[in-house]
Amino acid sequence: MVCPYCACLCDDLDVTIEGNRVTGVDNACDLATHKFQTGNRLPGPIRLTGKGWTGIGREEALDFTVEMLLDADRPLIYGWSTTSVEAQSHGIHIAEEIGGVIDATTSVCHGPSILAIQEVGHPGCTLGQVKNRADVVVYWGCNPLEAHPRHLSRYTTYADVRKTESANVADEFLHLKPGGDYAVLGALRAIVRGKTDFIPAHVAGVPKAQFLRIGEICKGAKYGAFFFGVGLTQTAGKYKNIRNAIELVDELNRHTKWTLTPMRGHFNVYGFNEVCTWATGYPYAVDFSRGMAFYNPGETTAVDILARKECDACLVVASDPGAHFPRAAVEHLASIPVVQIDPMVNATTAFCDVQMPAAVTGIDAEGTAYRMDGVPIRAKKILDLGYPTDSAILGEIYRRIRDERKVREVKGT
Amino acid sequence: MTELLLSNACVIDPLNRVNGDVMDIAIRDGWIVESVGNGAEVIDAKGFLTLAGGIDSHTHLCGTKVNFGRYMMPEDMRAGRTIRRGLMHATSGYSVPTTYGNSYRYSAMGYTSILEGAMAPLEARHTHEEFSATPLQDTMANTLFDGNWSVMEAVREKDVKRAAAIVAWTLAAVKGFAIKLTNPGGTEAWGWGKNVTCIRDTVPHFDVTPAEIIETLIRANELLRLPHSVHLHCNNLGAPGNYQCTLGTFDLVPDLNKERQSLYATHVQFHAYGGTSWKDINSKAEPVAYAVNRKPQIVIDMGQMMFGKTTTMTADGPMEFNLYRLHHNKWSNHDVELETGSGIIPVYYSKKSLVNCVMWAIGLELALLVKDPWQCLLATDNPNGAPFVRYPEIIGLLMSRRYRDEELRTIHPGTEKRIVLHTLDRELTWYDIAVMTRAGQAKALGITKIGKGHLGIGGEADIAVYPIRIGETDPSRDYAAVVSAFQRTAWTIKRGRVVTRDGEVVVEGTNRTIWARSRVPEAYDISKDDRFVKTFDRYYTVRMANYPVQDAYIPRSTCIESEAVL
Amino acid sequence: MRVILTAKPRRKPFIPVEAESIIPRHFLQGRDLFIWEGNKKRSLRELFDVMVERTAAAAEEVEVILRGDVSRFKRVGEYMDAGKITIEGDIGMHCGNFMSGGTIEILGNANGWLGREMRGGGILCHGNAGHYAGSGYRGEKFGMKGGTLEILGNAGDFAAEYLTGGDVIIHGNAGDLPGVEMAEGNLLIHGDCSRPCGNMTGGTCTVLGTVHGMLPTFRMTGTVLWEPKKIRLTAFEGDIANRGKGTLQVREFHYDG
Repeated sequence: MVCPYCACLCDDLDVTIEGNRVTGVDNACDLATHKFQTGNRLPGPIRLTGKGWTGIGREEALDFTVEMLLDADRPLIYGWSTTSVEAQSHGIHIAEEIGGVIDATTSVCHGPSILAIQEVGHPGCTLGQVKNRADVVVYWGCNPLEAHPRHLSRYTTYADVRKTESANVADEFLHLKPGGDYAVLGALRAIVRGKTDFIPAHVAGVPKAQFLRIGEICKGAKYGAFFFGVGLTQTAGKYKNIRNAIELVDELNRHTKWTLTPMRGHFNVYGFNEVCTWATGYPYAVDFSRGMAFYNPGETTAVDILARKECDACLVVASDPGAHFPRAAVEHLASIPVVQIDPMVNATTAFCDVQMPAAVTGIDAEGTAYRMDGVPIRAKKILDLGYPTDSAILGEIYRRIRDERKVREVKGT
Repeated sequence: MTELLLSNACVIDPLNRVNGDVMDIAIRDGWIVESVGNGAEVIDAKGFLTLAGGIDSHTHLCGTKVNFGRYMMPEDMRAGRTIRRGLMHATSGYSVPTTYGNSYRYSAMGYTSILEGAMAPLEARHTHEEFSATPLQDTMANTLFDGNWSVMEAVREKDVKRAAAIVAWTLAAVKGFAIKLTNPGGTEAWGWGKNVTCIRDTVPHFDVTPAEIIETLIRANELLRLPHSVHLHCNNLGAPGNYQCTLGTFDLVPDLNKERQSLYATHVQFHAYGGTSWKDINSKAEPVAYAVNRKPQIVIDMGQMMFGKTTTMTADGPMEFNLYRLHHNKWSNHDVELETGSGIIPVYYSKKSLVNCVMWAIGLELALLVKDPWQCLLATDNPNGAPFVRYPEIIGLLMSRRYRDEELRTIHPGTEKRIVLHTLDRELTWYDIAVMTRAGQAKALGITKIGKGHLGIGGEADIAVYPIRIGETDPSRDYAAVVSAFQRTAWTIKRGRVVTRDGEVVVEGTNRTIWARSRVPEAYDISKDDRFVKTFDRYYTVRMANYPVQDAYIPRSTCIESEAVL
Repeated sequence: MRVILTAKPRRKPFIPVEAESIIPRHFLQGRDLFIWEGNKKRSLRELFDVMVERTAAAAEEVEVILRGDVSRFKRVGEYMDAGKITIEGDIGMHCGNFMSGGTIEILGNANGWLGREMRGGGILCHGNAGHYAGSGYRGEKFGMKGGTLEILGNAGDFAAEYLTGGDVIIHGNAGDLPGVEMAEGNLLIHGDCSRPCGNMTGGTCTVLGTVHGMLPTFRMTGTVLWEPKKIRLTAFEGDIANRGKGTLQVREFHYDG
């Protein structure tokens, strides 16, 4: 069974089911186990009225959503990282149909990685390459033991922390000053090129001797793998840090074999990037207000649009911006109509007018997910709890929007 | 029951030896039939040139590396955008369009079937998802085996049947169509940052040569009775002097099949270079073409390069890295465990570059020097040589000496010493073009038996009506009209429905995936083989049970079945 | 010809407007122009009071003046090739995109991407400019290729990213990574900035203020006198990490050791 938590997408979980509940999970990390055991799903759609939250029927929820999206001058559809590609695909078509903006959690997470890739490319591989070949592994700006607990054991040859610590690279723990990643990576690039004389004795707190040592280790690897996380994407310079990391790996490839992989967070955020790219040409932050796709992170990204109070309606699917977005962005959500499709009450619920629960992809809905290295795996449905899937709900919304637009075109409205 | 009558069509149908007869084509429920009733919808083709729907036998449209190409090129995306309109989604992209962009543009050019050039089995689901979003063309997937660990072990053990069994299981598991080899052995070497330079080099750790991989798989392919032959991207692509490697590869190929070639060598332009360096590179189209002329067991496609911007993307990881070292453009790489590799890098082919001019000439030379058009098909290895929207210009060049001469006057003056194009008078005919863009592909791919590539009774009603009357056009002189006509059909009909009219899409597509299943005897069911299963479990990062492509990904399909002889 | 466009109050003033049709040349023809408010197509007159004074025979003679709140109006001056646009307050993103001739003067502040991919002409911004002033577009190898972009106030981050020609002059401070990826052209910063010219391959960047976080991959080549104000600057070559041979000359610099 395939785990629907993080982008490791471990597919070797063994799940015990009794009745309609998961009672045991083997081979999973703590994060996954927790996901399988959450109860407390919304029983049905709810709507916020003057009297508070009331349960409503599916029809009313769908009507509200369709009206809201059609009437908006700048609708925003956001989320996507924990649902299937099939659902994401519907979302993209909806955004295109209504002339709105669609964005995913990428924009607050690995968006910078994508921006860097768009400047210098991505020297990557599937995780099995690392597992089967790598003798040097670098984790930069991430904490795999906490965020991707089984990454080390599944995809590298090191089984646990202690063993890793005794490995070459872990001996070289680069402790650098916050914001110094760009300078450090640049210095490493120069060193790999053999240009060392002008580099200062310390860069961002790292002594030159350590640089030279690391340069040798990297050049002497038979196969090196570079993993990085939000520690690198969200620090000053953002995508320029990633770009420097990629260019370091490119430079190393002139000497030996190296690959680079972003440690994507949610289990299907990469899936959104994939389907958004093949359908629109761009991996996230796509603005359809002019009838074709326009992409400009910083301008068409959800956080920025909300912070600038630009949108007048918002549909949230499979994510929780209420919990993760900066205050200025979240405040705006309070002033516009918001619909959320999510099985659980969460921080975003406080800002919603309507919320519709859906099945959870990987538990009671199946669908495609893309692992952090791009390998597509089908998440399974192991329970049936009577919820419609995201895909079904969004497909229905799309159909109704198309029909309604045709009617309005005929009427000239 | 839906009936359609396409009347007054000027048909060229090489598979049925029809060459310019004006006739009516009767269609019922998607198939070409003898006649239809009076209630049938009638489309008057007005004497326009009518061909079977175009078939592209080698194009990169769908899958992991193609999407990498899109993802990393937002500047390519913004260069080719169209607005959402009617049934048409918004599209983006110039050399790597979105799936809808590809589908609409191919359909406007009359293409109704495509063979995706390369699909890594581990990532097949991705290819199939994109197939579904390329709705106006039937799709097939070339499945990569060039770096396959289990296959290479079987090759080393000289066990052709074992190799065949692995191929059979894999193709069925991932709904693939044919065996694709890209730089065989080289992609595995690239997993260590190395490469092979030609067919006699040894692949590190596996102790096999590319020659052995190619020979074993050609024989395995025929034991499996697959519809298409092995489809090969030769070693040493793009390197000056590589024509020797190509000729050596051609010499390996036995003649094992009466109905079609035993080897399809793709984008041969990139493999026909003489000289020793970029300074003295020259065309070796002649010896390569002559080799093809002597070997009916080989079919090639041109791999024509056209000037301008495009994106290169192949499974040939090491070759793409070399391009990065040359041009220092943004470069992506994606090696696939136990299977293959890939690389992507944008390029600009310039008339000021002598090397590029030689490359441009070679593709055309191949098409003009290979005598039999059934043996040299039209393609650009889209988008590597050029985006497929340039095909009409290539047709114009092949049919008109004058057009070629005019182009020759605009390229680097030093080119003539390195090529023979300017000495070639041959002008291909409408019939030749029909062969090179559909009939030849259908035959080479082995899909005539499911009704593709022809317009006779029993054929599938995939039809392209080009707004040109061959009786009124001299392609030698009016090449501009030829180019224009092939850029946009008056009608493209797919399975009996008009899907595009004057470039405008008028229906939601319902394409199908064509895949191949070779039934093997129980003893050769590799999924029960201990060693195969152990290798899988130990080295892959996906479990064998989760590896096959589930039915949900292939909502509509045609499976070409065969009985393996093992 | 003077065309005075006074922005009317809007029901939803924060919905961005795309106004790429506002360039001097378009007013010669006297035809209706359209702009987009979110996903709604509007005529120019729905969002502006339009007053036209005199006539003109060529775009060079047309001046367009924008009054009122156009701080959310994007793409004004896009592909402009002649004439003048004066914005009396703040202007939105992408002002002067792809400009090849003529002049844009902004009396207030400019939002992001001011003068993106400029090829010629001149932009003068009296106030501050947002991020990506004088920059390129995602994924393109080349950014601004020509023309002059002058900012009297401060610029945000990534000013002159991918500079490939022309002049960018910032009188105030620039933010983080100005001149990053630059290949040609001139970037002059009178004030302070941080980490200028990462990955630089060519061109010249002059900082008359203080550089914070000076990148370690630049090789000092000596000192140079900046003539206009006779200021002595330290000169560097780089970015060595990127095989660069650009010139970075700075008055004061601090490494982040």
